[in-house]
Formats: sequence, C-alpha cells, structure tokens
Amino acid sequence: MVITVLLSSTISFAQIKNTTTASVKINGNCEMCKAAIEKAGNVKKLVVINWNENTKFASITYDSKQSNLEEILKRVALAGYDNEQFRAPDDAYAKLPECCQYERVQKTIAKAELKTQLQDHSSHKATAEKQENSPLKAVFESYFAMKDALVKSDGTTTSVTAKSLLNIIASIKMQTLTTNEHTTWMKVAKDLSFDAEHISDTKDPGHQRDHFMSLSKNMYELIKVSKQETPVYYQHCPMYNDGKGANWLSKENAVKNPYYGSKMLTCGSVVETIGHK
Amino acid sequence: MNKHKSIYKNALLVVFMLLYAQSLFAQKVVRYDLYVKDTLVNYAGKEKRAIAVNGQIPMPTLTFTEGDTAEIVVYNRLKENTSLHWHGLFLPNKEDGVPLLTQQPIAPGTTYTYRFPIIQNGTHWYHSHSGLQEQIGMYGNFIMKKRETDQTFRKGIDDLPTVPIILSEWTNLNPNNINRMLHNANDWTAIKKGATQSYAEAIREGQFATKLKNEWKRMLAMDVSDVYYDKILMNGSHQTDLKTVDGKTLKAGDKVRLRISNGGASSYFWLTYAGGKITVVASDGNDVEPVEVDRLIIAVSETYDVVVTIPQEGLSYEFLATTEDRTQSASYFIGNGTKQLIAPLPRLKYFEGMQMMNDMMKMNGDLDDMGMKMSLNQMDMNVVMYPEITGETEKRKAQNAKEMESDPDRYNPNVLGDIKTLNYAMLKSPNITTLPKDAPVKEIKFTLTGNMNRYVWSMDNKVLAETDKIPVKKGEILRITIYNNSMMRHPMHLHGFDFRIINPNGEKSPLKNVMDIMPMETNTIEFLASEEGDWFFHCHILYHMMAGMNRVFAVGDYQNPNLPNKAKAYKMLQAESNMPHFMVQNDFATNGNDGEAMLQNARWSVGTEWRLGYSNMHGYEVETHVGRYIGKMQWLMPFIGFDYRYRKMGMDEHETNLFGQKNEKDSRRALSIGLMYTLPMLINFQSEIYHDGIVRLSLMREDIPVSKRLRAGFMVNTDLEYMADLRYILNKNMGIRSHYDSDMGFGIGIAMSY
Repeated sequence: MVITVLLSSTISFAQIKNTTTASVKINGNCEMCKAAIEKAGNVKKLVVINWNENTKFASITYDSKQSNLEEILKRVALAGYDNEQFRAPDDAYAKLPECCQYERVQKTIAKAELKTQLQDHSSHKATAEKQENSPLKAVFESYFAMKDALVKSDGTTTSVTAKSLLNIIASIKMQTLTTNEHTTWMKVAKDLSFDAEHISDTKDPGHQRDHFMSLSKNMYELIKVSKQETPVYYQHCPMYNDGKGANWLSKENAVKNPYYGSKMLTCGSVVETIGHK
Repeated sequence: MNKHKSIYKNALLVVFMLLYAQSLFAQKVVRYDLYVKDTLVNYAGKEKRAIAVNGQIPMPTLTFTEGDTAEIVVYNRLKENTSLHWHGLFLPNKEDGVPLLTQQPIAPGTTYTYRFPIIQNGTHWYHSHSGLQEQIGMYGNFIMKKRETDQTFRKGIDDLPTVPIILSEWTNLNPNNINRMLHNANDWTAIKKGATQSYAEAIREGQFATKLKNEWKRMLAMDVSDVYYDKILMNGSHQTDLKTVDGKTLKAGDKVRLRISNGGASSYFWLTYAGGKITVVASDGNDVEPVEVDRLIIAVSETYDVVVTIPQEGLSYEFLATTEDRTQSASYFIGNGTKQLIAPLPRLKYFEGMQMMNDMMKMNGDLDDMGMKMSLNQMDMNVVMYPEITGETEKRKAQNAKEMESDPDRYNPNVLGDIKTLNYAMLKSPNITTLPKDAPVKEIKFTLTGNMNRYVWSMDNKVLAETDKIPVKKGEILRITIYNNSMMRHPMHLHGFDFRIINPNGEKSPLKNVMDIMPMETNTIEFLASEEGDWFFHCHILYHMMAGMNRVFAVGDYQNPNLPNKAKAYKMLQAESNMPHFMVQNDFATNGNDGEAMLQNARWSVGTEWRLGYSNMHGYEVETHVGRYIGKMQWLMPFIGFDYRYRKMGMDEHETNLFGQKNEKDSRRALSIGLMYTLPMLINFQSEIYHDGIVRLSLMREDIPVSKRLRAGFMVNTDLEYMADLRYILNKNMGIRSHYDSDMGFGIGIAMSY
C-alpha cells in the first residue's frame, strides 16, 4: 500500500520541472477538507499538494519557475482554508461543509463588537454608552443576519446564523434586562430557541422559512419592548403561507423578501415602523 | 555725503522688503527631471518592450503643494515622439501636453520643459498623450497637497497617512496590434477570457433563442470590456504589502487614505476591501462629503480618494482591484500579519447580459431605455450579469418575468443587493459649486455613438477627423448634455477644467473632470470657460480615443507660442486620429489559396479578395473593392470594384448565371459598381453590376461562432458558385480550415491572419 502511494506520488512529481518542495500548515479537519485543499491547490504538471489530516501540514511540490508558494496558498485560502500566509474570506469559510468548519486560529471579531472594542480603547464614555445598549441587541443582530441569508436563499449561511442565535439566546442573563424585556423574554425565549434550533438543523431554505415565520413573530414581540438605536421595519408578504401572509423584521425600509428570495425580491410592504424610544 | 547715505539706506530697505515678500508668497519652484527611455519588462512570462521614465514603471510620483511652481523637464530618449499630459490640472493651454493641439510633439533626442503654477490640490495623474504609449508604461501619480492653513483642510481626513496608488494593466501583445485586432473584430480576446458566447455554449445554458435573437439584431458577442490583459498592476506590482506609512507601522484601528488613479488604458476596476467599508472622500482631486460604501467602480482615468480602516491586529487586509470583466485583479495588503483575503468577484453571467442587450437594442441599432430615465450610474443594466447581486444563474423563472418588468428598481444594485455600490448621485461637494449667475450660457448636446463590429467610436456619429473645433467665448458657461446611444460605457474627460456633474445635490453638485456614462444614460455637466485655449474633450478609453471619439473646445482666440500654424497642426491631429488599419488573411489549402487583404479607416475600405488555384482549370480570381460605409451602424457600403480572373475552360464550356447571362472568356477583366449590406444574422448581402452588364448577387456569412474555438461560414451567389467552411482557431493568427468550394472542390489547410 505504502509502496503504491509512493510510486504514484513519484509518478505525479516526475512531470513537474524545477521542483521545489515546501511543508506548510493548512487548517482543516477531515478527508473532505483534504480533497478540497488538494483540488484548490493542484495544477496539472505544476503543483501537487499532499495534505495530512493528522498533522495539518501539507507538503507542496511545485515548479518554482512557473509557480510560487504564495500563489498556491492564496488559491487554497480562497477555497476556505486558512494557512500560514493567507486567511480565507469569511464567506468562503462559511460555505464549507459543516464537518470542514475547523477551529479558526484568528477569530473574526463581529462588527458591532469591534466598534465597541475600538471605542473602549479611545474613551471610557463609549463603554458607558455600551452598557446602555440592551443585551438583546446581539439577538436582533443575528436575527437580521439570518434574514439576509434567507433573502439570498442561502441555506448554509442561514443555518450557521441560526446556530449563533441559539448560542446568544442561551447566554442572555435575565437580570440585565429591563422589566418589560424580562416579561416578554420569559414568554418567547423557549419558542425562539425551538425555531432557531430547527433552522440550524437543516440547510433547506424551504423548511427554514417555515420556522422563520414564527421566529419573526416572536422576535417582533421582543423588539417592540426593547430600546432601538435605529428604526426597525416590520414587513409583510401577502403571498407566503398559502396566501395567509407572513411577516419579518428589517433594518431597511426597502423590501427584500426573505420568504421568496430573488424570485420575488421586492414583493411586500412595511406594516409598522418600530422607532427608537 | 549725507544724501548718499540715505539713498544707500533706502536701497537696503527695498532689498529687504523684496526678500521678505518673496518668502511670504513662497514662490517655491519644484523641479523634476524625467528621462523617457525604451526598456524591456517581464510582467507576464514574456520579455516585452515598455517605456520607463527614470528607469521605472509607473513613472515617478510627482508631489507638490498648492502654491508651488512646477518645472518638469522631459528628456526624450525614445526613437519616437512623446508628450506628457497633466490630467485634471488647471494650467495655461500651452502646458497641457496634447501634441499637435497645444504643443509640437517632443521629438526623439530633444528636451522639453513644462512650467506652470500649481493652483489647486488633490489626487491627479499624468500620462503620455502620444499614440498608445500610455498602455506600455507612461502613467504616474501626480499629487498636489493642501496647505495646512487651507480653510478646506479637513481634520481626520487630510492629515491621515496617505498612499498614492496608480492602477494599470499589462498585455504581452503590442498595443498597435490590439488596436488593429479590435478594428478587425478578431475574437481572440473573447477566447482568452472565455467569453466567446458561441452557439454551443448558448445551447448548454438553455439560451439558444437568446443567441439567435442577438445575431438577428446584428450584434457580436457582448462584453463589458474589449481587451484581454495578462496582468493588473497597482503602482507597478501585482501584489504589494503595505506595512508602514511614512515610517510608522500600521496597527489595528489605524486609518489609511489611498489616493487612487486609474491609469489603465481601457479597464474599469472594481475596488473592494477585506476590512469592511470604504469611505470615499474625494473624486478627481475634488473633496466630497465622506460616503461609506462596500465597493465602487473606478472608470478609466478617474481618481478617487478613499479611507480604509484596519479592523483587527495580526491581520493584513486585502484591498482588491478587479477588472470589470473580472478576469484579472491586483491587491494591496494593508496592515501587519496573515493576509486576510476578500472573496473575488464571481464570473459574469454573459447570456443574461446578452438577453438584456437584446431587449434594449432596436432593429435599427438605436437603444431603447423602455421609459427608464437613466443617469449618474444609479441604474446599472449590468447587474443582470452580477451573481453577487442577482444570484447565480438558475433556470429561467417565467412566472416572475412580468413582475420584474414593472419593477422600477430592477437595475438598481443598491436596492437589489445588500451591498452598497457608489454612484454619482451619492457624490456631494462640501462647498457650493454653482457658477456665476450673470455669465452667458452655451448649451451643447452630444450623442455618443459607435459600432462594435467595425470598432468606430464617435460623437453625433462624427469622428474628430470630420469635425472642426467648437468655438466657445471666454467667460461663457458651457452646459453639455450627453446621451450615450452606444453599447459601451465611456469615461468622458475634459482637459483644463473641472465640471459640475448636475445631480440631486443641487448647488452642492460634485466637481469632476471625468464622467463615466453608461449606455442609455443622459447626464449634464457644466463649467465656466474661463481659460483660453484649445481644450480636448474625449473618451479616455485609449482605443476609443484613437478611433476618433474626440472634440476640441476652442475657448477665446488663443495664440499658442508653441504652435504658430494651428490650422495645419489640427489637420495633422485629425489625420492621426483616423489612421487606416491593415488586415490580411490567407488559407494555404490543398486546393488553392483563399484570402483577402483590407485597409480601412472610420469610413473607407479598400479591400481585395483572391482565390488562387494550383492549376489553370481551377483558375485564378482577384476582386478589389473600394467602398465607403454609410450610416451610424455602418451596415451599408456602396463600392466600385475591379475583377480579374483567368480560368481555362473547355471547348464549348461556358458559365451561365442564374439570370441566363453567359460568360465565355477564359480571362475576364471587369469594372463594377455595387452595394454591400449587412442583413440580420450578420449576413453580408452584396449586389454588383459589371460594365458588360453581368449582374451578381451574393450572400455571405463569416465567423459563425459554433463553439468556443470553432467558426463556420458560407457563401452563395447567382453565378451558381458556393462555398462552406469550418475553421478551428489555434491562436490569434492561426487556424485550421477545411472548406468546400464549387470551383476548387474540397480543401483543407492552415488559415493565417494578421
């Protein structure tokens, strides 16, 4: 077995001229990652990658006159795999199959978090402001991210955002909520978790949308009692749910329908504007 | 004695005062010496000729502060003429750098000095205005800093660490060759880009009807740009690490201002940033109110100042410039650490674009905006081709087609997508830019016209060679309304002035000197013609400019010391902008030689076709036509011709045509007059009558794109001759061709073209 592997690898290397070999760390998890990494990096007669699932190291053999390591690693990163030189675009990582979503060495700091972090550095006033923000803000943010993914009919991203919503819901400390928020939270938290869990369990936008409908309804109850920095729009699609209609929340006035995606993108209307109180 | 002393004292005082005055007005002369030389470069795997200035590409960055005097000495060490144009600068007309319009070309071996006061600030650039030199290296940053005491100095923007970046493209082909190939509708570029849009590809994507309709409307495969480039460069490199600015190491939270000029000859670039939003703070050297976007497109020759932030420590963020056709890109990595990539722009959905063109194009070649008033880049018809906005290609969904059609925002990228794209309506000047109310106004209208098949680009269907200068009185306001009735977008550039692009911001409409105008858009610009001279106004796509898409505004009666005979110089400029281009092809086949040669300019065509057999029986035939293309779309060409042929016929053998006319001679010389007309499906219909009364009608179609590299063609005529051929394209000059000809029979051979 080993001999055949060796043999076949020498055969494939033999076609490459001016060979150079490098050993490079590339993040990944499983057999599937191995196939994806090698497919992204390999070029016939120029580059052969052999990635080891256990060590996470790849041995890269390439023609140093017609290719270079940087170029190869860039291709691998664009396929979703972080490595020594390049970090994959967040959307490429998000599109990886679940089993391939390896632990990233450098986490992406969420935008809202980042802003407060940078503000923290600059002044204490900003920190004070931050505390005024409702802890529920993170809940809403991940809801909006999920909605955006559904607008694009992107089941994978929807499922990822649902999972993060689930985590955020679990981390909410009720004592930090206002009285009104607390009351509503008690009422809806269970249902929110239920829908989020179901959405995260599938990658089929059709099934996700069924749960998104009730999720949106509970989210609406919650957002109404929570303080908002910017207006939020409660929007309505008359066609969904066999013509019974369904609603959703959006930060933009313009309608982008999460129930049908590009098929009927601008179908719908604003039924209520939830202002900042 | 006493008297003498006081004079001496007074004189001393005057000298002191003079010295003081001089330092007060800071008459600082900043001098640059530029040595222009041929060089060899290897950007894309092959060593090729380029032009370097002071040994570098791009040319050196020239930096001034408002109030300086620029003195730039050009040493022409080339074997050809050159010139330098200061793009976007206000200066005396004789320093503008347009050969044969504002100065004589700088001859080989000579030295030329440009000298002018710097009376503005902002991001600009400079380039050669001679021939196609701009394509092979002659472009560079030209930065004019604001004085810190300037009232418009913006804290938090004008004091940021700043990096000038000039974008450009590189091709391994000689640009003269590119120009010729464009005019001859050579589709090698499309093959390289994978954008042939052949019948086979159409069928595979279920778009056969779309392709058929496209050809019915006499259109060749559509694309967003015409030239294939091998490498994209930012400041001369494909990839650059920006770890420090002015010696300071970049860290998280830092903001960097990039002064970006598009020095590409024909490429628009999408600008995107892995670290989040891009804040646009200036365009074409003029401040605008900061506006946050996810991406912007920078038209050929435009400049934008943008501010980007480094969000996180330990990562460096990719700032990516992608060509509009999305085949190539270049990057800057801003910050320190692992390189955070941004997802590349997905491939264009060409057949969606083709469908969109079909809908817009009327049978007569005019465009139909279907009632949408388009302007200022707000509606982008190309969104139908952008997967990131309109989704990946799916099977057509007929049930929504109707709904889509009534949606007023169906081409608005900022409504359809969840990313924000810059457009001209979002640009707002921080200051009031209105022009004096009492100045007289001269209104001008231009329709941008062109035709892709012959690559003729014009304004009001006239190229520069067909128009005089447009006289303008000094002190007049020129208000120009431009409508783009051509299939391509055009970055229109005015020399010597900034104009207002009238947009919804009213009196704070932005100032620019380049305006991109998309097909079917109508935009209005205006400026005060306050500086005398001959100012060029043209499309800045180099190959469109060379095709004649230019005008000259002659403001006042300017006496240019560089050009004693302005009339003669203008004639030469007109001639240079309508140079004939040559093409020749020949098929060396087993049954003879088939070929043609043509010399053409914007209107005229001199062409000769031949069929040379290897024996007297097969015969020899040469047809020569001199014709002139008529109309905007150039579908009609009347011509006069001369035919010669020799063919050994048997004793009682003679040829009879469809009309019963006979030709009995072995050798025949004939004069003719005729018409050529392009029919739907791009079929050439030719009718010709010879001096001896013989009539010949023929139908011909060449280059039917069967698959990516396979082309078919046919010809039938009333002499009962016919021909059909198939050609497989090997490279831009060579193909394998097999054909059957009624005179010469079956043949196979190598088809060469130049």
